[in-house]
Amino acid sequence: MSSPRVLFIEDDVNLSNMLAISLRQEGYTVDEAASGEDGLDTFSRNGADVVIVDVRLPGIDGFEVTRELRRRSQVPITMVTACDDSHDVVAGLEAGADDYVAKPVGAKELAARIRALLRRTSAAPLPETILRFGDLEIHQEAGSVFLSGQEIVLTRTEFRVLCELAATPGWVVSRSQLLERVWDYDFFGDERLVDTHIGRLRAKIEPDRSSPELIVTVRGLGYKLQP
Amino acid sequence: MSRLWHPRRDRRRHLGLRARAVIAFGVGAALVSGALALISFTVVRQDLLSQRQASSLRQAYANARLVKAKLDGQPTDAADVLSTLAPPSGVRSFLNVRGVWFSASASVGGTPATPKLLRTVLAGNVAEQRVIVDGNPTIVVGIPFPSLGAAYIEEHSLADIQGTLNILAEVLAITAVATTLGGALVGLWASGRLVRPLTDVAQVAKDIAGGTLDRRLPSDPDLEPLVTSFNGMVTNLQDRIEREERFASDVSHELRSPLSTINASVELLGSYRDLLPEEGKASVDTLGCEVDRFSGMVQDLLEMSRIDASVPDLHMSELPLDELVLRTVAAHDATIPVRISPEATGLHTVGDKRRLQRVIANLLDNADIHAGGAVLVTLECHDGLSTLAVEDEGPGIPLTDRAHIFDRFFRGAASGRRGSTSGTGLGLALVAEHVHAHDGTVSVEDRAGGGSRFVVVLPVTLP
Repeated sequence: MSSPRVLFIEDDVNLSNMLAISLRQEGYTVDEAASGEDGLDTFSRNGADVVIVDVRLPGIDGFEVTRELRRRSQVPITMVTACDDSHDVVAGLEAGADDYVAKPVGAKELAARIRALLRRTSAAPLPETILRFGDLEIHQEAGSVFLSGQEIVLTRTEFRVLCELAATPGWVVSRSQLLERVWDYDFFGDERLVDTHIGRLRAKIEPDRSSPELIVTVRGLGYKLQP
Repeated sequence: MSRLWHPRRDRRRHLGLRARAVIAFGVGAALVSGALALISFTVVRQDLLSQRQASSLRQAYANARLVKAKLDGQPTDAADVLSTLAPPSGVRSFLNVRGVWFSASASVGGTPATPKLLRTVLAGNVAEQRVIVDGNPTIVVGIPFPSLGAAYIEEHSLADIQGTLNILAEVLAITAVATTLGGALVGLWASGRLVRPLTDVAQVAKDIAGGTLDRRLPSDPDLEPLVTSFNGMVTNLQDRIEREERFASDVSHELRSPLSTINASVELLGSYRDLLPEEGKASVDTLGCEVDRFSGMVQDLLEMSRIDASVPDLHMSELPLDELVLRTVAAHDATIPVRISPEATGLHTVGDKRRLQRVIANLLDNADIHAGGAVLVTLECHDGLSTLAVEDEGPGIPLTDRAHIFDRFFRGAASGRRGSTSGTGLGLALVAEHVHAHDGTVSVEDRAGGGSRFVVVLPVTLP
């Protein structure tokens, strides 16, 4: 299997160079792009297994790049934000990013994030290949989801969140459990990751997003999938 | 002297605008209604008395003519003459003939008229006097019969008028009290109306202080200067805060990008550490430490500037406090003992996980830098309050420094030389900011057996 391809969209050439060298040392193939437009061109040309995008870019910004990438593909996207506490995080996650890292970012941390996003299998064992919840059908091996017979396109992270909930239907899965199993975060991971992904999942599979019937919030505990 | 005046001035200041308005209206109404009542009473009394006086005089003349006619006609008994008068109640007639008193009823004793009145009448003049008889005000009229050497005296009791006047006085007093209360009520209502714009101003100011910066006062022709300058001030404030927020986020981006590059370069350099000579290795290690420290400083500065620039955005969620403490301490230094009291075991509260983690981490960092590391971390829970304590065996904090230790960039006399081990000067200030954001308190005390004990008390909020 060829080395995973990382597209790194970052306007700070020095930072991009340093991180690219480190990532190549880790065995990734790295494409560098210095602007959003350049990044989208490179993605059309070469594709990528993971995209890393800085939210502050000259020209079209990282949020727009993320939205455009989401229109074209379900590729895992990690944002690079300047602040871990800013609105950038939520805005980026809502634009469709799977994860984020805050500056100052190191190569080791970035490599660990990429590994987590590329991980294919869930930590929890999957009992059946096809799971059914009302009109919802999850084909675990194929990685596809059908709602009333119509295929729903999910990102890999959304699919994994759904599979974690589907592994124990009717049982509450806490935010920190989801952070650990899907994103490889420890106790201190950002719970906004979970909440935005649940929101995106609901938008795709719930008939009425404002009163969810499939993915139910259990206050103070986490989420569960109604069997 | 001035000392004596202080309490009074204080009381005036503490009396609210509305209370003062109510008192002023009440006192005003009391004065006006009191004066009106007094004037009405006096006028009515005067009028009633003069009417009664006139009628008494008329009646006395009529009776006197009757008596004189009878006495002139035949020399009869004066008492018999008087008894033919049949005076109405409250009226008594007397006759003085050459010093001897006669009266219609035998029961009446004493002299009805004062010596002065009698003298005047006997001298041949009609006289009139107001006196008190048996506790009742009474008009006494004297008419002389000079030809007979006699004087006819008539007493007119004013008891009925006094009764009327008493009722009038009561009615007027009740009216005055009612008017005073009414005045106070009007004062309450009017001051409420007057203060309402101020209440609006206060509400808007409160909203703005709470972070709703787009609130403005509605225009009001009477308050034009206030509204204009208030709204102008808020607009300036909003601009300034937004500018500062932008500045903080710009600085954050500008500083963090080169810092990221340095960080990445040092990491890359570190991967070739083994190829370097000893001096090179030492240099790479120092560089790594300093980059970490610099990152921490930038992070602290940015965090503080974010807190300053706006209402801090808390990300509240339900979290297990004991687990947060255990995990944070373990991530810092797994050898530090942690004692969780039974009440605090499994304790869940609502808080910002990242900030609370920073609180604990900063206290542990502080112990590392100034006191050779924390020796014990405890978590207890009593009466809805969780108490987290970080203890060290360092030199302790002098009493004089304790009030300032949570100030930014505070360096106590004992904090020592700056070096790679010194902190950013913001760690404890951030602890205080984060704890206050959770409505908690932080303090420092002596640890039993030497050293310091930093205590964070947070309200436990149940989800």
